Amino acid sequence: MKHAFIIPVLLALTATGAQAACYADYKAKQDNPLRLQYGVAEIRGECSVAQAEAEIAPRLVAGGWQLLEVLDVFDETGLDERQQSAGEFYLRY
Amino acid sequence: MKGSRVRANSTSAIEVRQTGNRIVVGGIAAIVVILAVAAVLLFLNLPDANAFNARVERVFVENDLTTQAEIKLLEILAQSGTAFSDTLSSYRVVIFVLLVFATALLVAAMAFLVMLITLNRRMGQIERKGIEVNSLLIAREQNTVYLNNFEFKLTEAAIETLSVLAEARMDDEVLSGAEIEAVISGRDASDCDEAAGATRIKRLRDTLGNQMVSELLVKNIARRGYMLAIDKSVIRMV
Repeated sequence: MKHAFIIPVLLALTATGAQAACYADYKAKQDNPLRLQYGVAEIRGECSVAQAEAEIAPRLVAGGWQLLEVLDVFDETGLDERQQSAGEFYLRY
Repeated sequence: MKGSRVRANSTSAIEVRQTGNRIVVGGIAAIVVILAVAAVLLFLNLPDANAFNARVERVFVENDLTTQAEIKLLEILAQSGTAFSDTLSSYRVVIFVLLVFATALLVAAMAFLVMLITLNRRMGQIERKGIEVNSLLIAREQNTVYLNNFEFKLTEAAIETLSVLAEARMDDEVLSGAEIEAVISGRDASDCDEAAGATRIKRLRDTLGNQMVSELLVKNIARRGYMLAIDKSVIRMV
C-alpha cells in the first residue's frame, strides 16, 4: 500500500531525469518451501535483458530470492499493465 | 603304488576345499553385486524430494503464468508435490527394509550352500572311513547288542564283557584284562588272571567281528551261497 504512494514519486523522479526510464519484469523463486515471484524492477544501467539480469539478480539474492529469468525490458508505458500481476513485488527490488 | 595313492587322495581333498572356497567367495561376491545393483537402481529410479518443485519451477518459467492467482496455484501445486514426496520417502524405507530382508535371505542361502558342501564332504569322509558307531544299545535279557541299526546276537559271556566295557567307557575308564575278569567274576582284581580277561575280549571280538563282517561285507544268502554286500563299482584291484 506504501507503493501506491512511492510509485508516483519514482515516476516523477525518473521523468525529471530527462532520460527514458527502463524497467524489467522477471521471474524468481525461493526454495523450501517453493515460492514463486513475478516482479517488476527498475534498471538503472543500459536498457537490455542482459543488464537487467546483472542488476536484478544481486538485489533479489539480498532479499532471499533466486532469479529464474528476465522476461523483457520496457519503459514506463509498460508499467501499468504489469502492476496488477506483480502485486507486492511491483518495483520492490 | 602306495605313494601315488596318497598323492591322489591329498589332491582330491585340496580340490574339494578349493571348490568350497571358490563357491563361498563367489556367493559373497554375488550377494554384494546384487545388493549394490539394487541400491543403485533404487536411488536412480526414485525421484528426490525436489523433483516436484523443479517441475513446477519449469512450468512457471516456460509458460506465461504471471498473475498472482496463477502463481499462488503453482505454489500450492508444489506443496502438494512435496507432501507426495514424503510418501515417496516412506516407500523408499519400505523398499530398503525389503532389500535388507533379501540380503538376509541371500546370506542364509549362502550359509546353507556352504553347509551343504561341508556336509557332502563329511559324508564322503564317513563313507570312506567305514562303519561309525552312532548308537550302541545293549539288551541283556535277549543277549543282543544293537550297533546303529544292526542287530547282533551274542553269547551271555560276550554280552557280559561288552556291558563291562560300556560301563567303563561311560566313566572314561580303561580296564585291564584282570580288572575285566574281576568285575565279571566278582572276585578281587589281584586274584584274577590277566589272560582270563584277554580271552573274554578275544571271544567278544570273534563273535561280534564275525557277525559284523557277515552283515556288512560277506553276506550269506540262504540256500544260494555267499556274496560281498558292497557296490560293485567301488571294487578296485591293485
